[in-house]
Amino acid sequence: MKQHQRLKALSSAMFLLGASALVQAGGEVPQAAATTGKAIPESVKAVTQARLTAAEKQDKDWLQVNGGYAQTRYFPGKQINTDNVAKLVPKFVFQTQIMESMETAPVVVDGVMFLTTSYNHLHAINAVTGEEYWHYKHKMGPVTVYCCGPNNRGIAALDGMVYMATLDAKMVAFDMKTGKVMWETQIADPEKGYSETMAPVAVDGKILIGTNGGEYGIRGFVKAFDAKTGKLLWTFHTIPEKGHEGVWATKDATGRDMKRNIEAEKAELAKSGGDFYKTLGGGVWMTPAVDLETNMVYFVVGNPSPDLYGDIRPGDNLYTDSIVAVDLKTGEYKAHFQYLAHDVWDLDAVSPPIITEAAGKDGKKQKVVIHGGKTGHVYVHDPKTLELIRFSEAMVPQENMWTLPTPEGARMLVGANGGVEWNPMAVNPTLGLTYAANLHQPMTYHVEKAAYPGGEKLWLGGAFKVIPGEDQWGRLAAVDMNTGKMTWKADTDEPLMGGVLATAGNLVFTGEGNGHFNAYDARDGKKLWSFMAGAGVNAPPVSYTVDGKQYIAVAAGGNTQLNFKRGNSVLVFGLPD
Amino acid sequence: MRSLSCLFALMLVSPVGTQAQETAADLPAKAQTCIACHGPGGNSTDPQYPVLAGQMPRYIYLQLKDYKQDRRVHPPMTPMAKSLSTEEMLALGDYFAAQPRTGQVEQGDPALVARGQKVADDALCAMCHLGGFSGQNEVPRVNGQHYSYILGQLLAFKNGHRTNDAGNMAAVVKTLSDDDLKALAAYIANIQ
Repeated sequence: MKQHQRLKALSSAMFLLGASALVQAGGEVPQAAATTGKAIPESVKAVTQARLTAAEKQDKDWLQVNGGYAQTRYFPGKQINTDNVAKLVPKFVFQTQIMESMETAPVVVDGVMFLTTSYNHLHAINAVTGEEYWHYKHKMGPVTVYCCGPNNRGIAALDGMVYMATLDAKMVAFDMKTGKVMWETQIADPEKGYSETMAPVAVDGKILIGTNGGEYGIRGFVKAFDAKTGKLLWTFHTIPEKGHEGVWATKDATGRDMKRNIEAEKAELAKSGGDFYKTLGGGVWMTPAVDLETNMVYFVVGNPSPDLYGDIRPGDNLYTDSIVAVDLKTGEYKAHFQYLAHDVWDLDAVSPPIITEAAGKDGKKQKVVIHGGKTGHVYVHDPKTLELIRFSEAMVPQENMWTLPTPEGARMLVGANGGVEWNPMAVNPTLGLTYAANLHQPMTYHVEKAAYPGGEKLWLGGAFKVIPGEDQWGRLAAVDMNTGKMTWKADTDEPLMGGVLATAGNLVFTGEGNGHFNAYDARDGKKLWSFMAGAGVNAPPVSYTVDGKQYIAVAAGGNTQLNFKRGNSVLVFGLPD
Repeated sequence: MRSLSCLFALMLVSPVGTQAQETAADLPAKAQTCIACHGPGGNSTDPQYPVLAGQMPRYIYLQLKDYKQDRRVHPPMTPMAKSLSTEEMLALGDYFAAQPRTGQVEQGDPALVARGQKVADDALCAMCHLGGFSGQNEVPRVNGQHYSYILGQLLAFKNGHRTNDAGNMAAVVKTLSDDDLKALAAYIANIQ
């Protein structure tokens, strides 16, 4: 129910169309794009670069989806802490009109919350009372192609503007006060499988954005647009035109053999040439981290296309399944590290990288960049070279790695959703721990030969299926970044999809698909509080302070990918008055 | 996780007591030909022809295009699609997408439906078809479709008779038994 432009003549059917669209497509509203409501209070100040740079050092606002440029998702406020979290109560529930998967991490500026929904609605609301200021409804273009749900993961703010990327692959810039659209630009062609669900990052006068589409045969990228005008400043292609065959790596990041047939791959490359770089995938699903001391931008790159059928894409398929660093000013390549060459399991790199501190190879504390993999490992990298310093023990069971997919299906653990899916991790720097929300889903991997279908159809080259009778569950794992060992783990009935928040109150928050939203003791994993939200809590929680009171907010909208019960709400919690 | 999915069926409420008031101007010229088999407004009552009412417009367009370009083969449909321009195919997609469903869902055997739901959960159908099989973009809405049509397509994917799926459906159904496919079809047809 996405194409409504040509239906204007059918005015008699419009009411019905609206009604059925609400039901069938989970709430996409077919009217023209519009902002309604009123301006936010004058007391709300613009989000300057200085505020963004210092975002993770203050305990008032939540200025970026993952807290700040380092993406630690660590909130320094400790009014809510291990001693009083059991008393946490809901303060308000903001219900959107969209009953579909919610993956938004709200951004909070001077007491105003900016939250998004599936199908690109954007709301500005009072972060204490839930009163709505303005509401933007995006009118989708005639073609939207996207995998895994019509999600949106939030906005970026800079200098009196806010920015949202859309399913029809546009970047839209708004006046923060009124929600008025200031400019809009096409990021890439949706007809070719490009779409946007990630939150952009605003930095240095630029808006950085990656792309979805690794399931459609795109050529991935990170682009930088001028924040004021929308002009394209630079593009980094995640698939190089030359050299994507790499070094013909036979082992993964942990040293295990990937059972590649290198001779056959080389023969295929010689025969077919390397022109498939144009459809080799490499989406960038999640928001990059930025180090302003070095002007390095870090992001992880998703799977090659097609996901499971590798014969027609010989080589390492650089820079798929990699962490990559580029220069903030120019987009120029700086470094990369590939976790898995020539992936045929869709065990790619999705969870956003985090800049933090941990022991280096010499045991001395240093700046590091970490990533939680679908493989179930946390990887710790040198920030300059991205060399792997260490990888954690497997947070969830691994079996038969790396068994190649077969037409009949080959069993291998981890399942294709992870380990750690897109779920952002969090860090408690004092404890030296990172917290990762994991899935355990035993699966069989199936390969099916399939030529590029033109960008307009899902192109997996096979399938993965969960195994009847084998239990699925989730695990919140606390990993010591200095040793790679799990300090504690808290298991859940459902595979975890959503993300984690850590706070200086020694708390860790995450949600479950069955509607539970939980707080754990960051030191030992003891569950200290839980609230039943009534729909899947499958979004990253955030925290902020207004008028001296700390709040915790999280969306409860369920999840398309795991079919968790849908909802339409953002819940906000605080201590009793 | 699996126990939750039964709730999705409840979320899908088909429009009740409403009938699109079609006028000659609303109906694309070529749609007259379609409704001969697919029924008024695309609400086919003959199970060999799929219901088109409320289908994803992009799916209808791409299937017509595949018929026209011989990626999907069906002797009665192929010549129909050959005569269509791109604009006509898009208009037909939009037209049928906008029509309300008027038919009743087929009541399957409860045990078969329950088995089918489990098959659907294990095969991760909702990952592409969304909850309640309501479809998205080029991935069709299949809830409430005719049982025999759904089963026929599942078997066609399994047996290699339908190949315009970029391998996705073939990979999913290849390892399912015919009895599983019957249960799956019964479950999907039973969803409102």
